[in-house]
Amino acid sequence: MRVSMPHMGNLYIPFKALFQRLDIDFVIPPISNQRTLSLGTKYSPEGLCIPFKLALGNLIEAAEMGADALIMPVGNGICRLGYYAQTQEQILHEIGYANVRVVRIGISEHKLLGLLKTIKYLANNASWPRIISTFRFGLTKLNALDRIERIVQKVRAVELVKGTANQLFAQAVDAIDKADDYNTLKKAQADYLDRLDRIPKDPQAQPLLVGIIGEFYVLLEPFSNLDVESELGKLGVEVRRTTFTSSWTKFSLFLNSLGINEKDRIHRAALPYLKRDIGGEGWESVGEKVLHAKEYDGIIHLAPFTCMPEVVAQNIMPSTRESIPILTLICDEQTTKTGMLTRLEAFVDLLQRKRRAGTNKQPRVTVRGGYT
Amino acid sequence: MTKIGIPRALLYYHYYPMWQTFFQELGAEVVVSPPTTPAILAEGAARVVADTCLPVKAFLGHVLFLTKKCDRIFIPAIRSMGKNNYSCSKFLGLPDMTRAVIPESPPLLEIDIDNNQGKGNLYRAIYRLGRHFTWNPSKVRQASLAAWQAYLNYRKLMASQGLTPPETIARMAGTPETEHSNHTESAQATIALIGHPYLLYDEYINHRIIHRLEQANSKVLTPEMLTAGELESAVARLAGKAYWSYEEEVVGAGGHYLQSGADGIIGLMAFGCGPDSLIMDTVRRQASRQRTTPFMSLTLEEHTAEAGIVTRLEAFLEMIHRKKKRQAERCE
Repeated sequence: MRVSMPHMGNLYIPFKALFQRLDIDFVIPPISNQRTLSLGTKYSPEGLCIPFKLALGNLIEAAEMGADALIMPVGNGICRLGYYAQTQEQILHEIGYANVRVVRIGISEHKLLGLLKTIKYLANNASWPRIISTFRFGLTKLNALDRIERIVQKVRAVELVKGTANQLFAQAVDAIDKADDYNTLKKAQADYLDRLDRIPKDPQAQPLLVGIIGEFYVLLEPFSNLDVESELGKLGVEVRRTTFTSSWTKFSLFLNSLGINEKDRIHRAALPYLKRDIGGEGWESVGEKVLHAKEYDGIIHLAPFTCMPEVVAQNIMPSTRESIPILTLICDEQTTKTGMLTRLEAFVDLLQRKRRAGTNKQPRVTVRGGYT
Repeated sequence: MTKIGIPRALLYYHYYPMWQTFFQELGAEVVVSPPTTPAILAEGAARVVADTCLPVKAFLGHVLFLTKKCDRIFIPAIRSMGKNNYSCSKFLGLPDMTRAVIPESPPLLEIDIDNNQGKGNLYRAIYRLGRHFTWNPSKVRQASLAAWQAYLNYRKLMASQGLTPPETIARMAGTPETEHSNHTESAQATIALIGHPYLLYDEYINHRIIHRLEQANSKVLTPEMLTAGELESAVARLAGKAYWSYEEEVVGAGGHYLQSGADGIIGLMAFGCGPDSLIMDTVRRQASRQRTTPFMSLTLEEHTAEAGIVTRLEAFLEMIHRKKKRQAERCE
């Protein structure tokens, strides 16, 4: 049995650590690229969203590498996602990978235990202590990655030589990927946080603060959103995003079962405009807009084309009393980088004018050097 | 008397007799918007972002029509109609979306239906809805039982007589029926039309497709003409377990007619419909595996041109006639 999974940002790194330590034959399909998207689009029903198409492309490329147990998340009441695994399995069978199985990981109901059980099954019934210890190691890697990414989001906006932070980030991802024990991992994390801190920065800069909200997958997979965060960084904008895989695992797998939900605050903020969970991240999108309207200079709302929850959110957002400039970017295989850049530039220009005119907030007092 | 507005769109075709009875039993007057007109659709579409699906745009147009003509508008938020199946986000967010894009609408009457949470939850939700009219729980109970009976009668009438929802609603209301031009005897082909009732029976949205098929001497079958058992077993065969609340109208009906009773199947779906993009494809894939019954899917949106639909219908019917002729020759 050869295991593989679709990409979502750097998620493959913790999974790779997990599976290799459990001696599972694990292959990683190529990082999502144009071919992945073309393959996915070619074999997908036309009205589906880019997460489905890219994931299908990843799965096809994994099947080409001989993988026969492909992991896909499923869940009830989320959105179409609950139907994806079975459709993708059928499509894979039809295009000639008849022995491929799509292994479903329930992310809405079984959560931690379901995930661990699936891993146990894939690892040929490895012992529980071994699974739990490797799972913990995987989580540590995930947390390290996200901790570094949070800093990178800030440094990109103010670095003197554009692109330095991104280069360091790529090296950090590589180092974390290679780290084989807690000590090396810890060292790599501290080392890269330190190097990010020492990147020469513009001491005068008062970067615009833009929140990125929207659908989970397009937020976390840079290929699907045409790397909107780096582009904003080049324009000197600091990006703030609450969605991270590490915070999802922290709350969804552990703290939610104890009754702690980080999203309660967001949901309460959304209540006057959207009273109920509509699946996907629709509720959170509305809530985050309301919650951060005072805090951010602007918001970029990312949504896949034909995403049902985000369409509802997009319709509701303009009517809230809390107002803040929002740019909705619809991600699709037809979206082009140039088109997106033009819109980003215009949006950032608008935010800058607004700040200069003083109609927006007072310039924030930012403390320099305190990035880590 | 309170006037309750019910938009003639989306779930109207599923539940109108039930809703009407419920509100009338509680002493309210029910106002229904007219069938979709170009103006209704255009006004609804102008309020929302372009990516919103066609039936929701039409729905909002109906709400706009009812504004100022009634005291409250009834819009349910349906999350789930059964164990472990779910509705589209747009059904769930319908009341909130309406409030957001039509701020001038009269206050909404909402009800949250989530049958996944069990019967107690449903009863409480119904009582909360009834409380707008009376504090007496037994009155609400009576009204809801009468409403349920009306719903059962509606389904029974539809299944036993082979009527479409608008015809059944008209018959239940006792209005004189328009002449039903079903050329059952002289029909050259039997065409099954699958899809959600709000597409199948909204004549403006679908460019009178049923009428056109009947004009071309075809007998038209629809999902409502099948029993719940037939639909369920076909869903089980094609998709295992229904994931969507109204999946059986597409997968169930499609699966059933692929096996028996139809010379060809036409699937109607709306552009941007999330669930349909997956489940219509399930039917299409089954049809291409089976290679017995021709299948065509038509995607509707506000820019769909009548001529385009007519051409495709003609070509599809032509193909079916030839196929039947060839089969007849082979038999001789």
